[in-house]
Amino acid sequence: MSESVLNSNDRTFKYSATNGIQHEEPLLFEHAHEAPESIHLPGVEGDIPDALAVFSRKIPANIPGLSEPETVRHFVRLSQWNHGIETGFYPLGSCTMKYNPRVNETVARLPGLAHIHPDQPEDTVQGALELLYEVQEWLGEISGLPHVTLQPAAGAHGELAGLMMIRACLDARGEAERRTVLVPDSAHGTNPASAALCGMHTVELKSGADGRIDLDVLKANLNDGTAALMMTNPNTAGAFETDIKEICQLVHDAGGLVYGDGANLNALVGLARPGDMGIDCLHINVHKTFATPHGGGGPGAGPVAVNDTLAAFLPVPRIVKESDNYRLDSTSDASIGSILSTIGQSGVYMRANAYISAFGRQSLHKIAEDAVLNANYILHRLKDVYHVPFEGVCKHECLLTDEIQNKHGVKTLDIAKRLIDLGFHPMTVYFPLIVHGAMLIEPTETESRETLDSFCDAMLEIAAQCEAGNTDALHEAPVKPFRRRLDETQAARKPVLVWPQ
Amino acid sequence: MRFLPHTDSDRTAMLETMGLSHIDALFADIPDEFHLQRGQLDMAEALSEAGIVRKFTKASEKNRNATNTRYFLGGGTYNHFVPAVVDYVVSRGEFLTAYTPYQPEISQGTLQALFEFQTMISRLTGMDVSNASMYEAGTATAEAALMARRVSRKKRVVIAGSVNPRYRSVTTNYLSRLDGECVEVDMGCFGTDLDRVIDAIDGQTACVIVQYPDFYGSVYDLAPLREACDANRCLMVVAFSDVSAFALIESPGAMGADIAVGSGQSLGIPMAFGGPHLGLFTCKQKYLRQMPGRVCGLTKDADGKRGFVLTLSTREQHIRREKATSNICTNQGLMCTAAATYMTLMGDAGLATVARHSAVALQSLVSQLPAHVTAIDGAHYNETILSFDDHVARQRFLGAAQANDIFAGIPLEQLDSSAENRHLLVTTTEMIEEADINDYLVALEVAK
Repeated sequence: MSESVLNSNDRTFKYSATNGIQHEEPLLFEHAHEAPESIHLPGVEGDIPDALAVFSRKIPANIPGLSEPETVRHFVRLSQWNHGIETGFYPLGSCTMKYNPRVNETVARLPGLAHIHPDQPEDTVQGALELLYEVQEWLGEISGLPHVTLQPAAGAHGELAGLMMIRACLDARGEAERRTVLVPDSAHGTNPASAALCGMHTVELKSGADGRIDLDVLKANLNDGTAALMMTNPNTAGAFETDIKEICQLVHDAGGLVYGDGANLNALVGLARPGDMGIDCLHINVHKTFATPHGGGGPGAGPVAVNDTLAAFLPVPRIVKESDNYRLDSTSDASIGSILSTIGQSGVYMRANAYISAFGRQSLHKIAEDAVLNANYILHRLKDVYHVPFEGVCKHECLLTDEIQNKHGVKTLDIAKRLIDLGFHPMTVYFPLIVHGAMLIEPTETESRETLDSFCDAMLEIAAQCEAGNTDALHEAPVKPFRRRLDETQAARKPVLVWPQ
Repeated sequence: MRFLPHTDSDRTAMLETMGLSHIDALFADIPDEFHLQRGQLDMAEALSEAGIVRKFTKASEKNRNATNTRYFLGGGTYNHFVPAVVDYVVSRGEFLTAYTPYQPEISQGTLQALFEFQTMISRLTGMDVSNASMYEAGTATAEAALMARRVSRKKRVVIAGSVNPRYRSVTTNYLSRLDGECVEVDMGCFGTDLDRVIDAIDGQTACVIVQYPDFYGSVYDLAPLREACDANRCLMVVAFSDVSAFALIESPGAMGADIAVGSGQSLGIPMAFGGPHLGLFTCKQKYLRQMPGRVCGLTKDADGKRGFVLTLSTREQHIRREKATSNICTNQGLMCTAAATYMTLMGDAGLATVARHSAVALQSLVSQLPAHVTAIDGAHYNETILSFDDHVARQRFLGAAQANDIFAGIPLEQLDSSAENRHLLVTTTEMIEEADINDYLVALEVAK
């Protein structure tokens, strides 16, 4: 190989960028030929009974059907249009897109864990119950809230379960008039939606000048109607609520309870515990902190950990251990009942158990340390060219805005879309709502320094393009992927959600 | 630690870049009293990858499972065949490790799969539109009741006793903190008398929820109920637990459902001890804007090429907050991709075979029952109730069956605490062969 090839000033490898070999692929319904019956199925042959035949479906559903090789190629081509954490950096703030270990996928698929029925005899599923019980106990230890339910299927479902418990607790105290949930204006949208579903109403707390809960605003809103404060700590501006102890004390003194949104637990895991700070109830997004894959939108799991105050109200069934035996217990007078038809997203918890097992007692805190180190490193590298709305160190995510680039007519959306051309998934945009043009960046602990530097270089390059007035490419972006900016207005105005027959 | 790329010198260099000498400086905003001693939590020691595999294999081997036992278990979770291709597709990192497709330019794979999923689910259920999933059937049923209240601007909800007790329990639980009555109609033991449900409907009723095929596997015409709903301007919600039925029998849409909800676990998703499964949610087009959850829609990109986006997000919590149609955010997205792959492999013909084999296996079993065991009358898809003389006889049979590697059914009182303890909910799928039925019948002899 010649020297000139080795030293070419080729920028090809600076960012991974996208020059893929993506194929266009029609919808299933557009594949032209009639479907063969390609799959050979087991079972009992014969005619259905006359009594059932009366109800026979008259017009087939018209599910197209492809042969196996065509099916594989169809979905593999679709997959190649996706960015995933295995493809590249995914710095979505408040989403904790970390690497999902492959061994977790392997063990979750073991036949004794994947192919078991939730209603088979308990003595035939002791191994599964043991793993679930173990992760249940670990989540209690990690959160500092020892009583845990694995039933909630996702974070928002956990919020609902937690608020149901809080409501039941207040009712048991004879304080059924307490129905107001205080929610900072930086909260996730699920918080007020969950409160509404629980028959409560929300009052929004305006954040202070530092992006944190303003104690005076909190005090002014606490009263005899207060059921709970729902807070995220660290909050969605990436800042730790330094007054956490006083906040919890104020709410408790006013007769309310404190709900913790555990979406941001990755900043604290192994280093500090919400339960020690005065939080009464916390949901944990295991698909964030404990590395279970997001799957393009789910499944997740939203277990809820509570202190002694709320323990009696946990949903049923509960997974309990009696000597060396595990069983599901549905007896509880004070329980809020069940909020799911099964015991929970067991397969998700198998992966979470494997993840925690890999770190163990010795190393769990390294998750939070590296996550916070990485976020601060990005903040440090970008703070001179992007507006930082709130001063100080951040936790596992950092918040920037487009204020400086806006002077050149460039918005957060343009920056996000330009990142796509450079080979990165954009950060979370326009959230939290408390700053204009928010860019919330969460690198997680599983990114190398090389990747972080590459991302920061890309961000600096975009900022430099703005300063140079070279903004056309930013408004046009993305130009490289399989599709360019999509018309969301048209999609919503006349929604087409199914392919016509 | 193998998931963490930094060396200690990386960490030191990064801290130095920031002018810091120790990682603790980044946690100085957490009050001292809350700092844990590192490594002091009461948890297990770290395991190597080999150690993790060993631990899970050991736990897995303690469990009887569908690779070594014949499953006649249903009640909401079904042992249908899962083709290898389904698991392969959802194991691909591009599907598995992607986030919700909020950046559509680099998420078209997930989005097109969702659009195909929505289309096929709409067709299979005979409904106009489908969303891109709920958690599972119980919460989907609860969301259907909430949606019907919004659509009708009425608050009273009627639930038939023939709906899976767990779906009922979740639904009544969701509704119990909101204004408005929720009435559960007792239909008696395995009752199919829709008149009792019809009698419970009045002008204040927002919706009536029935299951089809019902919890006991019975299939019957819903036309009289549809008439009663029309007369009272009330929505008809049809729940289902094994969606494979609708490749064989008339769909909820054909039965007149306004909203149809249930489980899609049968579409290529393992039983997995209760989850992750797939909640299906479908409705008539005219109610679309009151539907909960994410939906994927067709559109064009800046070059005029066809593409897909998540749409109608003004219904959702991240825009509408406390006024959203639901609080759901993370859903069962990957399971939609699994179901889409499964349905593509099957097509109409394969789905019909699954359903026919499931129904024929039940018929074969029921038609050969000995005199001391009875099954309920009427049309059934793939589930029914077997009744024994008494509890002791049933337990004797369950033990004998299990000794011969058969899970023979779910004791009914395990699902419905009001049921007598001599009944068994028995279910068949295409995974049951003639030989399994013969062994089942042999075991039944001990119940005499």
